[in-house]
Amino acid sequence: MDQSLTRNFCIIAHIDHGKSTLADRLIELAGNLRQGEVRDQLLDSMELERERGITIKAKAVRLNCEAEDGKTYRLNLIDTPGHVDFSYEVSRTLAACEGAVLVIDAVQGIQAQTIANVYLAMEQNLEIIPVANKIDLPAADPERALSEISEVLGYNAGDVLLVSAKSGQGVSGVLERIIEAVPPPRGESDAPLRALVFDSHYDSYKGVIAYVRIVDGNLRRGDALRLMGQRTRMEALEVGHFLPEPQPVAELSTGDVGYVATGLKSVGQCRVGDTVTTDEHGASELLIGYRPAKPMVFAGIYPIEPESYQQFRESIDKLSLNDASLTYEPESSPLLGHGFRCGFLGLLHMDIVRERLEREFFMSVVVTSPGVNLRVTSTDGEIINVVSPSQMPPASKIDVVEEPWVGVAIVTPSKFIGPLMDLAVEYEGSYKHTEYLGHHNLPGSLGQRVQLDFEMPLRSMLSVFYDRLKSCSQGYASLDYSPIGYRPAKLVKLDVLVNDVTVDAFSRIVPPDRAHDVGKAIIAKLKQVIDRQMFKVPLQAAVGGRIVARADIPALRKDVLAKCYGGDITRKRKLLQKQKEGKKKMKYIGRVEVPKEAFTSVLKLEQ
Amino acid sequence: MTDSTALYIHIPFCRRRCAYCSFTSYEGREANIPAYVDALTRELALYPAGLPVSSIYFGGGTPSLLPVNQFDKLLSCIYPHFAVDETAEITIEANPGTVDGKYLSFIRSLGINRLSLGVQSLDDGELKTLGRIHTAADALRSMSIARHAGFDNINLDIIYGIPGRKSDIWLRMLKDIISLEPEHLSLYPLTLDGDEPLHEAIERGEAEPLDTDAAADQYELAGHMLASHGYLHYEISNWARPGYECRHNVTYWLMRPYIGAGVAAHSYFDGRRCANTSDLDRYMASLSSNTRPARDLEERIGPDIELAEAMILGLRLTSGIDTAAIRSRYKVDLLERYSDQVRELAGLGLIERDGGRIRLTGRGRLLGNQVFLRFMPD
Repeated sequence: MDQSLTRNFCIIAHIDHGKSTLADRLIELAGNLRQGEVRDQLLDSMELERERGITIKAKAVRLNCEAEDGKTYRLNLIDTPGHVDFSYEVSRTLAACEGAVLVIDAVQGIQAQTIANVYLAMEQNLEIIPVANKIDLPAADPERALSEISEVLGYNAGDVLLVSAKSGQGVSGVLERIIEAVPPPRGESDAPLRALVFDSHYDSYKGVIAYVRIVDGNLRRGDALRLMGQRTRMEALEVGHFLPEPQPVAELSTGDVGYVATGLKSVGQCRVGDTVTTDEHGASELLIGYRPAKPMVFAGIYPIEPESYQQFRESIDKLSLNDASLTYEPESSPLLGHGFRCGFLGLLHMDIVRERLEREFFMSVVVTSPGVNLRVTSTDGEIINVVSPSQMPPASKIDVVEEPWVGVAIVTPSKFIGPLMDLAVEYEGSYKHTEYLGHHNLPGSLGQRVQLDFEMPLRSMLSVFYDRLKSCSQGYASLDYSPIGYRPAKLVKLDVLVNDVTVDAFSRIVPPDRAHDVGKAIIAKLKQVIDRQMFKVPLQAAVGGRIVARADIPALRKDVLAKCYGGDITRKRKLLQKQKEGKKKMKYIGRVEVPKEAFTSVLKLEQ
Repeated sequence: MTDSTALYIHIPFCRRRCAYCSFTSYEGREANIPAYVDALTRELALYPAGLPVSSIYFGGGTPSLLPVNQFDKLLSCIYPHFAVDETAEITIEANPGTVDGKYLSFIRSLGINRLSLGVQSLDDGELKTLGRIHTAADALRSMSIARHAGFDNINLDIIYGIPGRKSDIWLRMLKDIISLEPEHLSLYPLTLDGDEPLHEAIERGEAEPLDTDAAADQYELAGHMLASHGYLHYEISNWARPGYECRHNVTYWLMRPYIGAGVAAHSYFDGRRCANTSDLDRYMASLSSNTRPARDLEERIGPDIELAEAMILGLRLTSGIDTAAIRSRYKVDLLERYSDQVRELAGLGLIERDGGRIRLTGRGRLLGNQVFLRFMPD
């Protein structure tokens, strides 16, 4: 097919602004599926991905679309992950496109991720097509949205398409605009093959399926291939594209978007961002600098039933075949048994991994409180990566501690600037600047929309900061953040002792002035969840040798059965049997019986 | 003596169910009393004639709801069928709100020689919380009526650990109880398993929650007071003047056989523990054809459970367990079989050894479950 009739685009939006719904409507409209066949939010659904494997993991759908000029165009819609955790993946996806449809909710207007996404798209020189969505909602204010878009993002109000993805209103105009405005892919069909991997996924029959954008040359079924960054060799067992059902074809040509079945056993061998070329007479230069996404957030994951460790290990091995960003190292704790210290792109990624372990592998797991990767320089000059409190050297051996920081952009109505400033300061943020977005007053007494920029430790993002942000802005404020490097930090290890025994799993790394409050909260929780024992149990939180919080669980005094009516010994015995069963399920810290829930509840406690 | 059997007869009728009660009783079914007594006589007749019986216990429910003629009928069936010992202890439980002098005199004349009054508390507010139908004054009056009726062996059931009970109220109550000079006292902790109305009221925040420390304080205070007034603390929950220990209850703790007749009644007979159905209609229906009543439970006690039961029941007695007696009865050396448990519990200060006996310490009595559960078979 003529390269000039191809358009590669993606849809970018702040979360819940209607990206997935618009994608469904576009697919429907292009005639790939009839209305009934489109399950809601086709590109987005984990559940469906899981049930139908490769067929639904349609990260790139081809739309054959007849335009007003009478020609049939080939439109490739590439899905982008919708969360800040996956910004590296987003940028690789954008690199596979020439255009982006920018969806803005006509009720909510511009939000933090709207701006972040626009910047990412601009970095890739994409043609951006601004669309105001949800114009059918009674609360929608298209006029305000339009002027905001023009003032903040610099687009001509007349160029903004007004649509309702839900009802389909104005959606055909989006297709026309894509054909008209997005440039056809450049790239040389005679040059050696260069294809960008923008996503990958593991299929138990075909091995790793790589989603690729052919930049130069052609990719044929049967080709011997090589990943230039990772130097992985593989064969194109099958090539094709999605309609959204997979359609095997003999070759993908310059400008095309599609998939290659590689037979590889793990997505770790075929990472997003790498360049595919032919093994012989291949290209010499990568498309974009390849660097694997680095985990930012670390937590221990343990099976709730220590006996199921073997099964747990197999589950996490299998899961990682499909998740190149997940890192994991064996770790063990006297209380939680054997598990793994895992690295994630962010908190959402951590939740996804936990959920997949539970839903796809039927594992019940405990996730310890998440932390960041600290860089500790010891007094003898050695640099230690600390991803778990237990790796923290003793205070006397520490020269410098550094922790990762992030640039944080918060978009909010000006009414909430005060509380948000206080909140950011509470979470150790340093204020950078404020920018008013447009000149319009929002309805009610909300004031104008502003963007506040802060710099904060990434550690602060791992707490309930986001929930607090939402609650102190009545849900209006939105957030985006990205790493800005390491900075010196004042952090100490807080230990928790139960009956004078240090419990590794409860240790945390905290700023020294928070040690008392955090310690107090942990101890209050423990006092609430640990039953009284036959003896008094002191609970202590300590930094080094200094106790920062303390409480005692008094000894149990009474545990005796009431009247034995009419010689009902069986009932008595069964109650005791039940009590004994409960005791068997207990974990032990020294000789203190601790219910499993004690661990989860303390681990869930905010930092 | 060891060959004789105890007889328990359950009377499952109540004018009103109490708020803390989880036992089998029926409200508003008093019209069924004659039919029920009839069923009881049929059930008792199924046991071998001439069986030696050393104690009879009418428990409930509210046995004192049975009219005197029904007691007459029951006892007229029991006396000829079983070989009831001349000195047998024959107890009836009575609700202080249901008795009068005439009634008690008649009952006494039928040979019932021990009265257990469900006093529970001498505080009208608490009695209301518990859902009792009587007042403290009723309880005091019933005590003197009982004395006049000729009862010289009276037990009072008292509940401790009632939410909100202040220590001074309890102290005054104990003094009042002691001044009534009962021969026997049963002090039970208020225990809620989950489906009692009081438990639900606590869940809804309408009643104060149980406080185990306050209960422990009350138990200890009662122990000191009763000891100084000459009561022997012979079992976890029971105190008596010397010679007035309840023979019927001791049967349970020493694992001697007992026959339970009536709805939901438990038996330990022929090495089996059985429980009759707790459904009143089903019980009466199954006996109308002179067959054994339907069972809710029937289990043969194997040697492991038997030994565990011997421990958890025997340890309830202040005299504890006589290891020599266990050795001769079960052919087991307890100290060997349970060496780990005994060491651990002695270390925790919950049990103590005294020559060949093992018994609960003062602290262990209040933590009985913690001791007993360690002897449960795996």
